[in-house]
Amino acid sequence: MSTKEFTCVVCPNGCPIVVNIDDDETPVITHIEGSTCKKGEEWVHQEIENPMRTISSSVVVTGGDCILASVRTNRPIPLGRIMKVMEEIKQVTVIAPLAIGDVVLRNPAGCDTEIVATRSVAKAQ
Amino acid sequence: MSIKTIHRDVVVIGGGPAGLAAAIAASEAGCKDVLLIERDRILGGILNQCIHDGFGLHEFKEALSGPEYAARFINRLPGLGIEVMTGTIVLSLSPERILEVSTRGAIQYIQAGAVVLAMGCRERTRGAISIPGQRPSGVYTAGAAQNFINMENIMVGKNVCILGSGDIGLIMARRMTLEGAHVEAVFEILPYSSGLPRNIQQCLNDYNIPLFLNTTVTEIRGNGRLEGVKVAQVGKDRAPIPETERYIPCDTLLLSVGLIPENELTRDAGVAMDPITGGALVDDTFMTSVPGIFSCGNVLHVHDLADWVSVEARDAGRFAAAYVHEKREASRQRITIKEGDGVRYVLPQSVSGERDFILSLRVTAPWRNRAVVVRSGDKKVRRKKIVRLHPAEMIRINIGKDALAAAGGSSLEVSVE
Amino acid sequence: MNHKYEVLIIGGGVVGCAIARELSKYRVSAALLEKEMDVGMGASCRNSGVLHAGFKYAPGSLRARVAVKGNALMDDLCRDLKVKIKRIGKLTVGLDEEDEPTLRHLKEQGDTNGVPGLRVIGREEMQKIQPGVEGYIALHSPSSSIISPYSLTIGLAENALANGVNFHLGQRVESISQQPEKGWHVRTAAGEIFEAQVIINAAGLYSADVSRMAGVDGYTIYPCRGEYYVLDKRLNGTLTALIYPAPKKNAPGWGTHLTPTVDGNILIGPTAQYIKEPENHACTPDILRRLRIEGQKLLPAIQVSDYIRNFAGIRAKQTPPEVGGNKDFVIEDRKDVKGFINLVGLESPGLTASPAIAQMVVEMVGNHLSLVPDPSFNPVRPGSSDFFSELSAEEKADLVAKDPNYGEIICRCEKITKKEILDAINNPLGARTIVSLKYRARASMGRCQGGFCIPRIVRLLRDEFGWRPEDFLKRGVDSPLFVGNVRPEGGQA
Repeated sequence: MSTKEFTCVVCPNGCPIVVNIDDDETPVITHIEGSTCKKGEEWVHQEIENPMRTISSSVVVTGGDCILASVRTNRPIPLGRIMKVMEEIKQVTVIAPLAIGDVVLRNPAGCDTEIVATRSVAKAQ
Repeated sequence: MSIKTIHRDVVVIGGGPAGLAAAIAASEAGCKDVLLIERDRILGGILNQCIHDGFGLHEFKEALSGPEYAARFINRLPGLGIEVMTGTIVLSLSPERILEVSTRGAIQYIQAGAVVLAMGCRERTRGAISIPGQRPSGVYTAGAAQNFINMENIMVGKNVCILGSGDIGLIMARRMTLEGAHVEAVFEILPYSSGLPRNIQQCLNDYNIPLFLNTTVTEIRGNGRLEGVKVAQVGKDRAPIPETERYIPCDTLLLSVGLIPENELTRDAGVAMDPITGGALVDDTFMTSVPGIFSCGNVLHVHDLADWVSVEARDAGRFAAAYVHEKREASRQRITIKEGDGVRYVLPQSVSGERDFILSLRVTAPWRNRAVVVRSGDKKVRRKKIVRLHPAEMIRINIGKDALAAAGGSSLEVSVE
Repeated sequence: MNHKYEVLIIGGGVVGCAIARELSKYRVSAALLEKEMDVGMGASCRNSGVLHAGFKYAPGSLRARVAVKGNALMDDLCRDLKVKIKRIGKLTVGLDEEDEPTLRHLKEQGDTNGVPGLRVIGREEMQKIQPGVEGYIALHSPSSSIISPYSLTIGLAENALANGVNFHLGQRVESISQQPEKGWHVRTAAGEIFEAQVIINAAGLYSADVSRMAGVDGYTIYPCRGEYYVLDKRLNGTLTALIYPAPKKNAPGWGTHLTPTVDGNILIGPTAQYIKEPENHACTPDILRRLRIEGQKLLPAIQVSDYIRNFAGIRAKQTPPEVGGNKDFVIEDRKDVKGFINLVGLESPGLTASPAIAQMVVEMVGNHLSLVPDPSFNPVRPGSSDFFSELSAEEKADLVAKDPNYGEIICRCEKITKKEILDAINNPLGARTIVSLKYRARASMGRCQGGFCIPRIVRLLRDEFGWRPEDFLKRGVDSPLFVGNVRPEGGQA
């Protein structure tokens, strides 16, 4: 068994939460102290059992008025797959023009998400 | 060569989150002659390089990246007929609201009916905090590194130490890790982090990057490129404890050690300043001590979230437009607001009592389950219970004019109890 | 590669550059070797930027002679080279009657040395020169001045170059030999050979080493570091003169003082600390703390946010720590080693004295070569001593109309324009580091210390000149700014 400490990020109250976890193959929460609401508890469960994250990065643009376009996931991905998703993002090259929301990559590393542009890029003059 | 002078009703200096919101609000308030001046080639300010998400949770109820958040505002400018000058820098500002501006190909004067200062802030540097040692390359402020990586496609280093646990430092710890750098650790001189809990979790813990509190960099080593840093724990007086000093080899040191409001133009114009915020003294319309000059956003005081910048700037823009239309003089009756126990600063520093307003403040230390109390003499104007109080986070409290009138008096004190 | 010159100067500090410029007045083939990637990378640009009057040095000493003469030569030199100089004068202030004899003695000594305009003055007059200064009596030396040490060193070098002296940067001298009939043979770490009839040692901190390489033993340099703080321009105008305390016998510690710079900053320092490594420019915590405390005492208006940078310079002292003080300059045309002009231990007032030293040295060169004046010598360096930001609005408008690059501000703190950055990077010496840019255009010398402008300068150099990440160096090849691209470059489709 191990103990993990969290600061809850669900609301600005930022409650400190201490969790005791059974360290079997799939973690089971045995005890939570500190969370003052149901949402906080749900969040801790999610954080321990299957933490999900959004990530942001950049992709190379050719023929645009800038050399990089910022991108992000439009749905959260499992924390453990971030590096794999990054590997795929690094391979992407897009051709200008680009609009906010344009999909530059679908289902990277098998994740249920799209990588979308977060800035628009005009064609180079 | 003679220099031409043009007239504009409301001139907003700075095209970042504050300036964008202020210009839009001034226009929506009925001012048809709004000019927005930005020194960069594009609008958006620092938002352009903040490609991480988390912006807009308050304003748009969704998590946007910086560029997306900026675009929501920028896209509204043409429809409102707001004039924009990019690549333009304001060289000077007079108390009479005459701006000397320089654009590619032209220097001109602009006589403004009202000015909204929205220049934002700059990062505190190595020199400003006097880190001893040599002066190799590889020492960057976190924001400069962010600019190189996210805007210029340039990688600044491979083995990274970060001093300061401000949000930009935390964000950059994750960003550099995702791009293949090894982030050794983050060091924070204070006993608590100055970043948001979410960023501690998602930028450091997720990647097993340790955060050392009560620790600072005591020496920078390297003649050419950075070779390493010495770090040491600090005592209660924040002085390094020599026995705890250790050497960490690294080729890059990022500094996330605070932001300074960029108020050189403000001083030019003779505006009275608050030594604690580093910004102007303002009233409940965000007007400074110089009539017709308004201030908002990070140039007024450093905010924790861009969303609050937008909210504040909207008010400033609206009042600037009203000033032009009504030729309003500063109200004669003034209630001053002072910091009491546990409060580092309050804003505005004075109010008219004629309207409701939002009090912004920061506390001096982290607490849980305290109340922020606003008093006029021994009369209570407002008491608000807050679960989490943290120096890194701004607290905003509505104050009603009726409560103010009921309490009476000419000065308020805000304290934590 | 082999290069052949009549005269070879080793060391591109202010003295080496002044000698190069003085030599360029004659029909002589000359070159200067500098180990760094630019001139002025040592003490020449890491000092207070003060021209000394020369009353402090013993009458008859070389230091007294070259300081007084060098100071007098500066007006014309700065006018020709477009170097900023301000003749603000100095008050050496005595707090009580006890200081009066010391100040009277300094005045007499200065008069003997030929220092112009020295006067001992009382409190009232002292306060007219520097409002608010406290003291009983003061020695006023009107020829004490402030100058831009960067512009002076670079200006001398560029004018020498324009008049035919070659500059070889990044050439560290490794060995020197003299061959009968053939003259000097200087080999550099880069493997290049330079042949010359006369060599001049102006190697500053390394002058004893170069001397030894040339066969002259007996000199030792003891590096002595001085640390400084640079204060924000917010305090510009606070100091209208240089203010020094009257020297006290057996005074405890060093006398920290404030120096205004020609660019509008104020310096606190320098300190004095002997160090082992000749080029460790580190600032140290205890000294920085003392500088802050003493600076605050001298100028109570200083706020924490006014400290924008600290730096250190290293003096080439001939006296070891246990002896202290100074020895006179060594400027000698060696009789035992033919064609070797040896300059050792040129610490303060080296900057002030540089033009006078250059004249002396060139006279010595005349002992070995026949020096014929070059009628095509042009003493004037093109350009202006003022930055764009220092011009009137009308002058600015004129420049912007001529070249729109003047209308684009890249360094916002110092208000440096794109044109000034481009000019600096296109400098005739071909120095291309960030420090070179800083010394020429002041970019990144302001309160944000490059946080804003360096990314913009990088973008500019990439867009205008195609620089790649690895081309950006801070000072030398061992100080790259970057490790590469984040992503392989896409380029234009």
